[in-house]
Amino acid sequence: MRDELLKSFVDMDEQEAVRIARELIETDGGAAAVLDTCKEAMEEVGRLFEAGEYFLSELIAAGDMFNQIMEFTLPKLQGGEVASIGTMVLGTVLGDVHNIGKDIFKVMAEASGINVIDIGIDLPHEKFVEAIKEHKPELVGMSCLITLGVDSMKRTIEVIREAGLRDDIKIIIGGGRVSQAVMEHVGADAWADDAARGVRLSKELLGKE
Amino acid sequence: MPSPEMLKLAEERAARYRAAIELKEPDRVPFTGMGGDVVAAYAGISSYEYCFDPEKSLQAIIKYLKDFPSDRPIGGMSGIGNAITQLAFLDYPDLTGLFAMVDGPTNDILGVDYIRFPGREVDEYSSPQFIGAEYMKADEYDELIADPVKFLFEKIVPRTTRNLRDLGSPAALATMARFGMHKARSGAFMQKQAAELLKLGYKSEPASFFLAPLDFISDNLRDTVNLVKDLRRYPDKVKAAAEALLEPMLKLALLGKNIGADMAFIPLHLNEYLSPKLYNEFYWPTLKEGILRMLQEGMKSQVFFEGWHDAHMESVLELPAGWGVGYFEKTDVRKAKKILKGHTCIMGGIDVGMVIASTPAKLDEYIKELLGEMMPGGGFILSPNIGNLPRETPIENIAAVYEAVEKYGKY
Ligand code: B12
Repeated sequence: MRDELLKSFVDMDEQEAVRIARELIETDGGAAAVLDTCKEAMEEVGRLFEAGEYFLSELIAAGDMFNQIMEFTLPKLQGGEVASIGTMVLGTVLGDVHNIGKDIFKVMAEASGINVIDIGIDLPHEKFVEAIKEHKPELVGMSCLITLGVDSMKRTIEVIREAGLRDDIKIIIGGGRVSQAVMEHVGADAWADDAARGVRLSKELLGKE
Repeated sequence: MPSPEMLKLAEERAARYRAAIELKEPDRVPFTGMGGDVVAAYAGISSYEYCFDPEKSLQAIIKYLKDFPSDRPIGGMSGIGNAITQLAFLDYPDLTGLFAMVDGPTNDILGVDYIRFPGREVDEYSSPQFIGAEYMKADEYDELIADPVKFLFEKIVPRTTRNLRDLGSPAALATMARFGMHKARSGAFMQKQAAELLKLGYKSEPASFFLAPLDFISDNLRDTVNLVKDLRRYPDKVKAAAEALLEPMLKLALLGKNIGADMAFIPLHLNEYLSPKLYNEFYWPTLKEGILRMLQEGMKSQVFFEGWHDAHMESVLELPAGWGVGYFEKTDVRKAKKILKGHTCIMGGIDVGMVIASTPAKLDEYIKELLGEMMPGGGFILSPNIGNLPRETPIENIAAVYEAVEKYGKY
């Protein structure tokens, strides 16, 4: 049944995937098997996206399926079964209200085992500082879809440094308007303008790959 | 009165642009220039002042254009388009145009929920913003399909526009009267502005506007993520809605002919989201039909292929050669040229991220290489990949780009 779930998920058959997941949860592997299979499916979808076979329309559908299935799967998991490989504070920077890229990256990062704390959009610099103090993440992710956000990222990173927190974290920036040049300009540690690559780099920054 | 030299300069600039659109080699590469929030910053004023004080904004534009002349400058951002209200008033052609651009004072009068202005809903130094939301529920597709204009007027305008919530009320009537008074004033100012810019060698070039019907639904009615899900959940309804919106959208774009427009600007949003299968089934048919029908009526298109358009390049070749301008954002213009040479005028090339984050020397090198590859054969308009340079953009980087264009831009 795991294979069937994997296949219908990767083939974007929403109804089938949800139906099989509901069945699987009651049988052999239980919730843990559903979680693992869905993570594997998300990884495969990410691979297809990076290979140019899948598009944002498929990432959105996959994220939606993942969330739907997790809604009834997570409550059934025992504490130890949801192992996290690290924590990331994630948000869209000041002046930018685009949330879709961030949300897609979030689901994929979560599916890969990263504990993501989403602090929202259009964020004043201090919000990042407060969240870092509160959640003590290893990673901070900033999403930026507009060029006006480049300066916001730079300022936010300065403010994090002024708060004495820069050395405790790695910063990865993402979104349609980031690049190597932008990364160097703002002083981040990594950049990605696609979610699959972003997940890979985040794992590297966590020393998990 | 503009001097004869300036009139001649204005003609030269316009001719350069026209030649590129006709896929020829002009005397120099046409360069749109680079505008945006930096125009206000350069004059030392806030974005709030730029949006609400026309005299100050005109002075800022003049100052910037004197120091950074180009062939068809973009200026700063002083307003946000409002396709919903335009379509809602489609049957009153003398009024529709007035709704095209919501400037600061207009938004004070109308109170559009999805538009935010500096010094009002956002910080004094931000640019004006469009914020989408779900203004139409999935179960309302049938109503939209049955009569788009009626639906937009009766349902969506009141939902999105605070001061027109109750359409028959004295408050709404007063809003419309105030709107009319403001437009009379701002129309007069526009004429003054056009005259001032002509003195600097710039003709005003009226342009029309068209949206891919699916983008209209996505940005203005359903919200992007909902629309992408609708494609799988209610495919027939989405298709019928796009078809129903095509005629009103075309009628709107063709009204531009009354003010002398011969080019329609079409910014694409869902292109990057959709797989070729979804693109070709749901998005492209009504967009293509729109471009072709406008062309029949003598109006070319300037399509802004936002994000990555690489997966859909071949479909552009379905249009007849000389159909218009393909303006690219993330898709590499060199790659576009390989596919579309002799068929589509290509526009873009300057990565705004670089203008912010790079150095004058690197930018000089970059422009030199870019022009070396893109100019031969003509049919190329040089422009930034995004129309908005942030306030903080280093002026020496801007100057370096203009100087490089001057140096390397001659045919
Ligand atoms: C949809 C859209 C909108 C929607 C937003 C809906 C929403 N809720 O997000 C609406 C219509 C509301 C909108 C509004 C505006 N928009 Co807009 N919008 C777009 C559009 C078409 C797509 C953006 C998008 O969602 N892309 C899809 C996502 C999934 O891609 P992505 O961000 O790259 O994310 C991927 C990766 O980068 C990565 N990722 C994302 N975040 C992160 C974070 C981390 C840490 C990592 C590792 C990875 C990662 O994962 C994602 C999946 O692969 C783009 C054009 C384009 N194609 O890029 C313009 C665009 C981004 N918008 C633009 C603008 C200017 C605006 C406005 C400011 C316009 C205005 N003046 O009002 C307003 C926004 C106001 C503001 N201040 O933010 C410009 C930005 C130009 C610039 N360089 O500055 C663009 C590029 C259009 C253009 N070419 O002019 N927009």
